Amino acid sequence: MKVLLIEDEPMLLDEMDTYLTEQGYRCEKATTFGVGEDKIVLYEYDVIILDITLPGGNGLQLLQLLKKLQKEAGVLIVSAKDSLTDKLAGLNLGADDYMTKPFHLEELNARVNALVRRKSFKGSPQIVVDDLIIDPIAKTVSCNGTFIALTRKEFELLLYFIINKNRVVSKQSIAEHLWGDHYDSVDNFDTVYVHTMNLRKKIIAHAGIDYIKTVYGMGYKFTSM
Amino acid sequence: MKLLYKTTLNFFPAMTFILAVAGLSLYLLLRQEVTDEINEQLELQVELIEEELAAGRSINFPLASVSEMPFSSAASKRLGDTLIYDRLQDKKEGYYYLTITKKINQRNYHIMVMTSYIGWERYYKTIFISFLAVAFGITLMGVLLNYYSNHNLWKPFFLNLENLKQFSVSSSQPLQWHDSSVTEFKELQQSLKELTERSRREYLALREFTENASHEIQTPLGIIQSKLDRMSQLEVSEEMARYIVQAKSGVERLTKMNKNLLLLAKLDNKAFVEKQPIELKELLRKHLEQMDDLFIARKITLVIDMTSLTVFANQYLCEVLLSNLLSNALRYSFSPSEVSIVLTSHQLIITNPGELLDFPEQGLFDRFTKGWSHTQGTGLGLAIVRQICVLNGWTISYSYQKGCHSFKVSFP
Repeated sequence: MKVLLIEDEPMLLDEMDTYLTEQGYRCEKATTFGVGEDKIVLYEYDVIILDITLPGGNGLQLLQLLKKLQKEAGVLIVSAKDSLTDKLAGLNLGADDYMTKPFHLEELNARVNALVRRKSFKGSPQIVVDDLIIDPIAKTVSCNGTFIALTRKEFELLLYFIINKNRVVSKQSIAEHLWGDHYDSVDNFDTVYVHTMNLRKKIIAHAGIDYIKTVYGMGYKFTSM
Repeated sequence: MKLLYKTTLNFFPAMTFILAVAGLSLYLLLRQEVTDEINEQLELQVELIEEELAAGRSINFPLASVSEMPFSSAASKRLGDTLIYDRLQDKKEGYYYLTITKKINQRNYHIMVMTSYIGWERYYKTIFISFLAVAFGITLMGVLLNYYSNHNLWKPFFLNLENLKQFSVSSSQPLQWHDSSVTEFKELQQSLKELTERSRREYLALREFTENASHEIQTPLGIIQSKLDRMSQLEVSEEMARYIVQAKSGVERLTKMNKNLLLLAKLDNKAFVEKQPIELKELLRKHLEQMDDLFIARKITLVIDMTSLTVFANQYLCEVLLSNLLSNALRYSFSPSEVSIVLTSHQLIITNPGELLDFPEQGLFDRFTKGWSHTQGTGLGLAIVRQICVLNGWTISYSYQKGCHSFKVSFP
């Protein structure tokens, strides 16, 4: 899976690069409008993560270029501007998703993952972790042929954990993922805990393996063998 | 006191003084003149009588008496006034007289001539009355003239003043100025024009600054957050982990606050123009569904009574309004307790039991107002709610009754 990161802030770019590479993506980086433009014209990518404010031009122009070249890449806009007009303009120009800085890398990864699933497979790719089979479209989880009954939130939580497996996922990140950023997540940490514990119990009951580990104070980590 | 009344009132004593002085001097001058004239006339009469006597003719003058003195006395001349009974008017009238004792043709005569005069009191009265009439007339005309001409002259001033009262730096409409031919007013208008334009420009710059600053803060915040996330992936001691978590919660609050400030700046900038019909009941249900588990976790029972209500507004802002009010109820309710959510055809009322505010109630919707017991919030949620209401012409009100906070949004 090839990902192009177009972002002018090197420290953020490094972080995205490192994490997405860890998750198995092949990442290329561009820090200016010009470099981004060249790469888009010359190569094919599955996903392009695009910042709007770039040295040398506006990211939205790159979107137009992509459209003109009829590229298949899924585009995720990452902007410091929490502006509805930019968001609408971006989506109208063919972007698939829009995120506002600052964001959790797990959330970025989840969005990229969803984008990849939507774009490249078209059908219903199942995610398999040992004996667990997760169907993101049907929103079901089964273990050795039996379905595990999960609530909607528990399912979303599991998917979030699995997509970000082997990484400590913070409570903030989970709260924002589950309830959006309208709410102050601190209030919801208890609920995150309750959901995580319920999910954990259900999975242990079916699979007999405790995948979700509590990392002291920081959050939770889904570890697969 | 209005300027118009003030100038009119100042005009009064000035008029009174001038008229009093003029009246008094008129009276004195007239008296002097008339007295001189009467004297002259009386002396003339005496002269005529003397001439007649000298010629030996009999005297037949009105109001004159001549008597021959038996003895000779020194020649004398006396001027005076007296009261003489007037049969016609049946009262005594004032007369001037001149008596002369003189020797004519070797005989002594005592001549007295008289002439009537209108009593000085009457002069005084007449003058007083006529001056009073004049004063009244002048004052009335003065006031009328003052009032109407001033009214016209000051009209542009008052219109501009009214204009200025309506002025708000955040309004995008330019002020309509009313021209005047008076130089001072022109200057005033010019200065006001410059002043309002300058304040508006500065306000806009400030607004833009807020928005830009918020935008600029997002990226560094993103860096801090991602680095903290990276640090939490490493093997760290418990102590270190605690510091990382604390730093994260700080970043989290800063992020939230920055987002809210940005939203407020945008609301001020009226950035949300796209409006559409929104079924509030549906939207509310969506939010309640989303927050369902959060309420359950805090052992809060929801009592919901909703009727269908469609408003014409911006979708995003409606969502923010609802989620802010709901998360407010979630955060500040007792646990366990019962929160009531009522949506009627023109009102949304959210009532939750909670502790009395520990700050003045009128500051509730102000920015950065927080109770000392809840320092986690940004203090911007309700300010945003109010701003959204103002923008849409809705009214929000708050009351605390029987241990319950109640927020009411009225849709016109």
